[in-house]
Amino acid sequence: MTSRRGFMAGLVAAGACPRLSWADAGWPAFLSAGRAPNGHYAVFGLGRDGQPIFEIPLPARGHAAAAHPHRPQAVAFARRPGRFAIVFDCVTGREVARLEAPEGRHFYGHGAFSKQGDTLFTTENDYEAGQGCLGVWDITNGYARVGEFSSGGVGPHDVRLMPDGQTLVVANGGIETHPESGRAKLNLPTMLPNLTYLSLQGEVQEQVTLSADERLNSIRHLDVRSDGLVAFAMQWQGDLSAARPVLGVHQRGHGPELMSMTHAEALTMKGYGGSVVFWGKGQRLAVSSPRGNRVQLFDVAGRHVDGKLELEDVCGLGVLSDALIATAGTGEVFQVRQQATRLWLSGVAWDNHLVAVNRGA
Amino acid sequence: MLRISALVLALTTSIAHANLADTILDDIVLPGFDQLAIRGQALDAAAQADCGAESEPLRAAFGETLDAWTAVSHFRFGPTEVENRGFALAFWPDSRGKTPRALDALIASQDPVVDTAESFATVSIAGRGLYAMEFLLYDATISTAGSAEYHCALTQAVAADISVTAQELAADWHTRYAELMRNPTDGGVYQSEAEVAQEFFKALNTGLQITADMRLGRPLGTYDAPRPKRAEAWRSDRSLRNVTLSLEALERLAMQLANTEPEIEARLGHSFATALTEAKGLDDPRFARVSDPSGRFRVEVLQRTVNDIRAVSTGYLGPLLGVSGGFNSLDGD
Repeated sequence: MTSRRGFMAGLVAAGACPRLSWADAGWPAFLSAGRAPNGHYAVFGLGRDGQPIFEIPLPARGHAAAAHPHRPQAVAFARRPGRFAIVFDCVTGREVARLEAPEGRHFYGHGAFSKQGDTLFTTENDYEAGQGCLGVWDITNGYARVGEFSSGGVGPHDVRLMPDGQTLVVANGGIETHPESGRAKLNLPTMLPNLTYLSLQGEVQEQVTLSADERLNSIRHLDVRSDGLVAFAMQWQGDLSAARPVLGVHQRGHGPELMSMTHAEALTMKGYGGSVVFWGKGQRLAVSSPRGNRVQLFDVAGRHVDGKLELEDVCGLGVLSDALIATAGTGEVFQVRQQATRLWLSGVAWDNHLVAVNRGA
Repeated sequence: MLRISALVLALTTSIAHANLADTILDDIVLPGFDQLAIRGQALDAAAQADCGAESEPLRAAFGETLDAWTAVSHFRFGPTEVENRGFALAFWPDSRGKTPRALDALIASQDPVVDTAESFATVSIAGRGLYAMEFLLYDATISTAGSAEYHCALTQAVAADISVTAQELAADWHTRYAELMRNPTDGGVYQSEAEVAQEFFKALNTGLQITADMRLGRPLGTYDAPRPKRAEAWRSDRSLRNVTLSLEALERLAMQLANTEPEIEARLGHSFATALTEAKGLDDPRFARVSDPSGRFRVEVLQRTVNDIRAVSTGYLGPLLGVSGGFNSLDGD
C-alpha cells in the first residue's frame, strides 16, 4: 500500500526484521471495517489524519476489530451471525490466522485481548442453548481455541478488558437469535440484558441489571475509563415513543446510572446507541446514533447531555489527542473539538466501529 | 413561477402523506383491531358456553381470533407495546418451550390464579394468549392434562384474558394512538407526516421479516436439521395459513404506502402476487414436509419470494418514503 509498508514487507520477507511493532505498521490510530468503493468488504488502518493507511480484504461484511496490545496484529470479526474472524499482520498485510467459530457457535463481532497479549476472548452465541459465551484463543499457540465459558447472559455483544487487566466486562444484550432465523429476535417478551464482570477464567464477579422499565433496553457497546468507570450504549427494543436514554454508566460496587435528558432529546436518538467513547480527558462521553443521524455528547460528572452533533449515518467513534473522531457510512471522518470539522472524505463506507490502536496513542 | 411550483409540490406531498395516515388508519389499522376485539369477545363467549378442548365452536372461535391477530400482528408499536399487550396476546416464537411449561405448572398445582380476570392477568405472559390457547385445545398432552374441571377453568381464563387484551388494544388505538398519527406535532411521538409513513413502512418490513425468517425460516432450519415442530401454530394446522394471511395483510399496507407511485406499486403488487401464488399452491398446512427434499424445496421457494418482496420494499419503497438507506442506520447491530 504505502511505500513504507512495501519496504517493511520486503524486510520481513527477507527475515531482516525480527520484532515488529505498531510503529512498523505506520502507526495507525484506528482500525475500522468498511465497504470499499468497489463494493468489497475490508478492514482498514486509519492514520491520525483520518486517511486509510492499509486495507485488508474480508470475505464478507465485518463489524468490529480488536488490536493486539503490542504486536502489530489485529483481529477483524465477521458481522453476526458470521463464523469467521481473521487475524492479520498490519505491516505485511498478510493473514496470520483464521479463527472459525466451533460447531454450534457464531461470533457476535467483538473481542478483547488480555493485557499481555497472549489470549483473545471473543463473544459468541451458543445458539441451540440460547446462551452467550466467551471463546478463549491461545495466541502463543497460533490462535488455537483452548476453551470457552459462559458470558453470564444471552446475546453477548461487546467485551472489554478492565484497567486492572484481570477482569472482563461483557455487554449481554439479552436478545436471543438463531442463525436459522437470520437476525430475527426470538425472545423479546422475556429478554433481560445485563452487564457482567468476569475473571479471565470465567468466574462471575459482578452482574448488573437495569430497572424493570429498562428491560427492553439491550446493552450492546462499551467503553471503559482508566479508573474503571464503564459506559454502556443501549438499543431500545420497545416502542420508540417511550424514548428511553441509550447511554448509561456503571462503577463497580454501585448501581447503574442512565444519563438524564429531556424526552425530546431522547426521541432524536431513535432508541439506538451505535458506539460509545469517553473523550475530553475522560470527562465527557459521546454516543452515536446512525438512525438519528446524530452524536449525543455528555458531561460525565453531571451525568447529563451537554451537546449534540448532527452527522448523517454516523456510527464509529474514537479519540485522538483529546479530540473526538467520528466516522460515517457516507465515507466521512470528522474531528470534533468545539464543533465537528471534516478531516477526510473517502469512498469507503465506514462500518459501525472505530477501534483504537494502543488507545489511539 | 419556479417558487410556486415548488410550493404546490410541497403541498401535494404533505396532503398525500396526510391522506396516507388517515387511509391506513381508517381502512386497515382500526378495522383490523376492531375485528380482533370482536373475535376475542366471541372466543370468550364460546369458552364460557363450551370449554372442552374438542368443542368445534370453541376451536372455530380460536381460529378466527388468531386470523384477526395475524392480520395486525406487524403493527408492533404504540398500543401493542403498552403493558406487554402484544406479548400477552401472542407469545411466539417460544424458542425455549415456556408456554407448555407455564401451562403444566398451572395445571399441576391447580393454581387458583384462574379464578378471576385480575389475578389471571398476573400470570407469566408465556401462559397467556393465543398460543397458550392453542396448546389447551390441540396439544396431545396439555389438552387432556389435569382434571376436566381445572382444564375448563384455565381455558375460560385464557379466553377471557385474550378478550380483555384485545378490547384494550382496540380502545387504545381509537381513543389515543390514531390521533397521534393523524396529527403529528413538534415534540410529539411523530413530528411529521413523513415519520408516520416511516412507522408504517417499518411495520411492513417487520412483518415481512417475521414471515420470512420466523414463520418460514424456523421450520426450515437447515437441510441436515429441518425443524417442522418450530412452525407457528402447527398443532392447529395453521402454519401455512398464517403465512398467507400475513402476506395478504402486508400487501394491503404496502399498496397504500406505494399508491403515489404506480411503478413501485406495480413492482410490489407483482412480488406479493408471486409469493401468494407459491403459498396457495403449497399443500403442506403445518410445514411437516420440510423434512423431505421436495417438500422442503417448495417452502424454500416460498421463503425466497418473501425475501424478494423485502428487497423491493427496501430498494424502492424506502427511498420513496424518505427512509435513510444508510450503511449503518440499516445495519442494526
